[in-house]
Amino acid sequence: MRKNSSSYSGWKSLITFTVLLLAWVSGFASRLFAVIRFESIIHEFDPWFNYRATAYMVEHGFYNFLNWFDERAWYPLGRIVGGTVYPGLMITSGSIHYILHMLNIPVHIRDICVFLAPIFSGLTAISTYLLTKELWNGGAGLFAACFIAIVPGYISRSVAGSYDNEGIAIFALQITYYLWVKSVKTGSIFWSCITALSYFYMVSAWGGYVFIINLIPLHVFVLLLMGRYSCRLFTSYTTFYILGLLFSMQIPFVGFQPIRTSEHMAASGVFALLIAIGILKHLQSVLSRSEFKYFFIFASLAAAASVFLVVVILTYAGIIAPWSGRFYSLWDTGYAKIHIPIIASVSEHQPTTWFSFFFDLHILVTTFPVGLWYCIKNINDERVFVVLYALSAVYFAGVMVRLMLTLTPVVCILSGIAFSRLLEIFLKEEDNPAATDSDSDQEATPSRGLYDKAGKLRKMRHEQLKESEGLGSNVRSFVIVGTLAMLLMFAVHCTWVTSNAYSSPSIVLASYSQDGSRQILDDFREAYYWLSQNTDNNARVMSWWDYGYQIAGMANRTTLVDNNTWNNSHIALVGKAMSSTESKAYEIMKTLDVDYVLVIFGGVIGYSGDDINKFLWMVRIAEGEHPKDIRESDYFTDRGEFRVDAEGSPTLLNCLMYKLSYYRFGELQLDYRGPAGYDRTRNVVIGNKNFDLTYLEEAYTTEHWLVRIYRVKKDTDFNRPRIPLSERKMKRSSMYISKKTSKRKKGSIKGKPVVVKGKKPVKS
Amino acid sequence: MFRLFILIFSVISLANVGLGQEAISPDLIIRNAERSIEISSQLCKVSVKITVENVGKNPVSRYLFTVEPRVVKEVAYISAQASDPARTALRLTPVKVQSRPKDSFWALDLKDNLLPGKTVTFEVEYVVTDALTPHPTAITQKEKQLVKYVGNHYIYSPYRINKQTTTVSLGTRNVESYTKLNPVSISDTTDPMVVHYENNSPFLRVIRLERVIEVSHWGNIAVEETVDMVHVGATLSGPFSRYEFQRESHSGLSSVKSFKTILPAAASDIYYRDDIGNISTSHMRLLGDSVELDLRPRFPLFGGWKTHYVLGYNVPSYEYLYNSGDNYKLKMRVIDHIFDDMAVDELVTRVILPEGSNNIHISSPYPVKRLPDTKHSTYLDTKGRPVITITKNNLVENHIQDFELDYEFPKILMLQEPLLVVVALYILFIMVIIYVRLDFSISKDEVSESRMRVSGLLEKLLLHQDNRANTYSQLDDQLAKLKTNKDVNSFSYAIKNINQEHKTETTQISELLSKVKPEAPEIAEKISELQKLDKYLKDVYGQKQSLYVEKLVPGKIGRTSFVEAENALNKKKEDTIEKINIIMKTLH
Repeated sequence: MRKNSSSYSGWKSLITFTVLLLAWVSGFASRLFAVIRFESIIHEFDPWFNYRATAYMVEHGFYNFLNWFDERAWYPLGRIVGGTVYPGLMITSGSIHYILHMLNIPVHIRDICVFLAPIFSGLTAISTYLLTKELWNGGAGLFAACFIAIVPGYISRSVAGSYDNEGIAIFALQITYYLWVKSVKTGSIFWSCITALSYFYMVSAWGGYVFIINLIPLHVFVLLLMGRYSCRLFTSYTTFYILGLLFSMQIPFVGFQPIRTSEHMAASGVFALLIAIGILKHLQSVLSRSEFKYFFIFASLAAAASVFLVVVILTYAGIIAPWSGRFYSLWDTGYAKIHIPIIASVSEHQPTTWFSFFFDLHILVTTFPVGLWYCIKNINDERVFVVLYALSAVYFAGVMVRLMLTLTPVVCILSGIAFSRLLEIFLKEEDNPAATDSDSDQEATPSRGLYDKAGKLRKMRHEQLKESEGLGSNVRSFVIVGTLAMLLMFAVHCTWVTSNAYSSPSIVLASYSQDGSRQILDDFREAYYWLSQNTDNNARVMSWWDYGYQIAGMANRTTLVDNNTWNNSHIALVGKAMSSTESKAYEIMKTLDVDYVLVIFGGVIGYSGDDINKFLWMVRIAEGEHPKDIRESDYFTDRGEFRVDAEGSPTLLNCLMYKLSYYRFGELQLDYRGPAGYDRTRNVVIGNKNFDLTYLEEAYTTEHWLVRIYRVKKDTDFNRPRIPLSERKMKRSSMYISKKTSKRKKGSIKGKPVVVKGKKPVKS
Repeated sequence: MFRLFILIFSVISLANVGLGQEAISPDLIIRNAERSIEISSQLCKVSVKITVENVGKNPVSRYLFTVEPRVVKEVAYISAQASDPARTALRLTPVKVQSRPKDSFWALDLKDNLLPGKTVTFEVEYVVTDALTPHPTAITQKEKQLVKYVGNHYIYSPYRINKQTTTVSLGTRNVESYTKLNPVSISDTTDPMVVHYENNSPFLRVIRLERVIEVSHWGNIAVEETVDMVHVGATLSGPFSRYEFQRESHSGLSSVKSFKTILPAAASDIYYRDDIGNISTSHMRLLGDSVELDLRPRFPLFGGWKTHYVLGYNVPSYEYLYNSGDNYKLKMRVIDHIFDDMAVDELVTRVILPEGSNNIHISSPYPVKRLPDTKHSTYLDTKGRPVITITKNNLVENHIQDFELDYEFPKILMLQEPLLVVVALYILFIMVIIYVRLDFSISKDEVSESRMRVSGLLEKLLLHQDNRANTYSQLDDQLAKLKTNKDVNSFSYAIKNINQEHKTETTQISELLSKVKPEAPEIAEKISELQKLDKYLKDVYGQKQSLYVEKLVPGKIGRTSFVEAENALNKKKEDTIEKINIIMKTLH
């Protein structure tokens, strides 16, 4: 080893390169569970929209994409896609596709989309390395890179197939922070311009850019408070702010928000403050000391007051929009539940539990405060930044599960620092911190023959160290082995979590039978493909909004509501239709031109994420808009229980969602001993078994009954004879009323002749 | 349960006799014609066994075969063979007869000229694709599918037929109705025969089949078939009930849950997918001479329901590709099996040949339309691969036959792709080397440049220092040896070399020192200190050496005093080395 010391820097860069490469490879590989177990497929819900938009852009070109009016969503409103998406993701994969096809590499756009997030995780690892290197040193950087490559908190959003904004946004976030730290360090305009460009990429990729545009001003502000004003800071922030502002306004979805909404005001306030301080500093060099003192106090007070007043006045005047609801829910966790049920209905907007902190970060959650402490102890300009980053991210992660994602990188950075310090202390003889990562390699190749003496010498130095720091070699090896064991457990945990929790495509389900063989439940795609092949191209499908993107993406049919939950009243209307009786729902469906209704029903296979379990949210959202027609309390029993068995509330047992889910389920006997109509998800026998549908008919039900599609009958094809109005003995309207009032009676349909139109009478 | 429902009748029918360029020979009469119509599947397969007699004076070499004008367009495939034990295939060529412009004829070349007064027997088989229509056209899930066959009671022929027999085979006992024929009736040659019966066999129709064969000279042929399929039987009216479909056995009899596709035995890496991914409901069975795929569409196909999928596989090229020098011949099927009794409306077969293939000739077993050649670019292509496209409408199983494609491919082009990769990597590394080695900064940075120079010198210095340290360890070894064997002569011999080496290294270092001095005086200072220490160390070694050679070996010194002296020297040595190491560390 000593012999090779002559090319020390070469070794260092080789080790750095190797470790980063391995981090990239292992990060990429550990995200492939879903692809290996299932196939190269887009997961979940939102990614389906991103994929559809990307495919559209690849097919029609970038400008058509920006001008795309999607008439297949939010029928009859439609959606202006170009102005309501962050196009960074689509542009990224679209340009990769373009370049590959220029090189005659015919990769399908779907595969690019599927593998984009794993590939970007490698870039994230590298940018984390760079950031940590700027903050601490290269060794800590390598640790941080290895951590971020495999940490579950980040993997949860970036497995193969999870084609979502976050996949590339974390990379953009880290590289922006790195460039920002670099530009604060150097004070060079070059670096701050690059920072602004990277910020532009981040703005184009994810709404989380607001985090950057608040954190960087906060950093500047705290530096000012700490009396760490410098020309470097002035140059870098002013350059970054102006360029970043202009760039960010180029994104159609962002538009004028950066100068009009409260979320962005901190940045401009700090900008003004920095300019003011710059002026003061200049005056300080001109004025005498006592003059300046008075002037300073006066000017700072006046400036602060005027900035504050301007913001308040502009907000009241309506030029600056007040904080948005989603933003409020960051400060008050109960806010969403009361005011915006649609935000609260998404599970990832719930407050984080301690369990998920440990689940997503494992050992890092305990070591990152150590790193934070080291940073505070050895504070400098850029470490102030990471301290603020850590504190704010911890807070936000505590508020919302989803924001765990922004916490993860900083936890990796700080844990990297902590581990690096630890090993620096306990592996003192290596002055190369990078080497700590590959210490096993070094021990495996000791330099025996040539420089025997050096070995002896080293031992002697060990002894000296021991004397000076009071660490026995036993203690040392104990600590090292302990640390390595912890890291090993961390790696095992990460792999386990990735494999078990985050690698399910959720549109393909797998169940394992007792002999270990795997059965694939492909009902979602079965239903969507049926829709795409066997319905009219312009058919409109009503479903709960969760499935909107999937229907548009896989079945290519028009939906009423989808995961871009921008129009609450439209969603409430769908919720109202689902929670009304069939006849009332038919009125709504007719006004909305619905051709098919799609419901998810898990009662046959015991799938818990079905529509009946989500039903209360539909009721709540419907109640928010139509409090007269829908009341949540009607759907509970007298004792306040939500149940679908015979004791369930009659409103529930006769609403459309119930009927569509359980149509003919009452006849189905799942096993020989059990009763017919036994719901495996809720473990009850359903309450209302014998009913028929009047206004809808079953169009398709998948193999395991998971997805049920119903056709809404047109006025003309009801199964009853068409009697001209003049010949009717009973007026039509009175018939309607009688049916509505008799809805509570069980078996009211019995007396009604249903079968006509050349059908053979069948057993009821 | 397979019962033949037979219509037998024998009548004498007079066929029109006409004259034309391809004349209908008046000399021929049909002694006996046995027709069998097989309509148990969705296809109508007709085979006619004809015994012809030449009643004229001259030998006849051609027989003209025809079908009803209504059916001509729907005849997907026609073939003829002699009734000898070898079943020689007879050639059929479509011709027109001037006297009967409405009819289309196939001229059948008889195996031998038919001499006057002789008879000959042969069989003609043809397949009609659209002969069966569902009746009623829409059924509910519970109902059975009934179809109607409309044909002709009599064989449609330009010759006089003495006796004819027709057998209709339905494959079911459930017949709604059929037209009855009066045993002794003479009527027109077109007398509609209608059979209305139950037929639940899959009425699947491939609307469009795109078959892409990609030939690679690296040993693989990739085949990919894109299939658009529709159930053309009675359409489903009313709801589809999964409950009934699962629980009641008589529900959805005419629907297609799965079908079997037979692939070549060598097929591997088979995939079955559609626009939204892999279709997980399929099974593969390896049979001795083929691979049988049990394909289940995502959903059961009821009447009027469509599906679309892609099926692909690889086969080794040695089974299909033959070459002699630069000439290659590809023998593959124009169309392959999709399901039994299949009917394909439109077939497009593309053959993608390796880049650089030229002089391409294709010969097909039956007439096909060749579309203009195109180019296809894929991995590592520069100018694109030639694509040969052929198309044909209305195909059935009988069309599963080989085409032959001849082309030339210069073998040297095989090297193109590896070379491309090599060159690309080469360029990449060159770029990295250039980027790392050369300085691209706009302003000249004196300080860092001098630093780099110094570090270059230091690197050399460290190397020499390593070598010098090496000499010490050799010295140690020699001393240890001397201690045990007390052989002064060999020791002094060895030591001479080591000292020589040490000297050269030391002078090298001094040279470097002089070079470093103008660049970085403080480092030069350290180096000169290093030199001093080294000199001291060398002295210590000298002392040790003299201790060994002059005192220990002759035995002039006592045990204890020797150990003391040696320890003192060792202590000095260790201290010096420690100091040297500290300096070395600062020099890194």
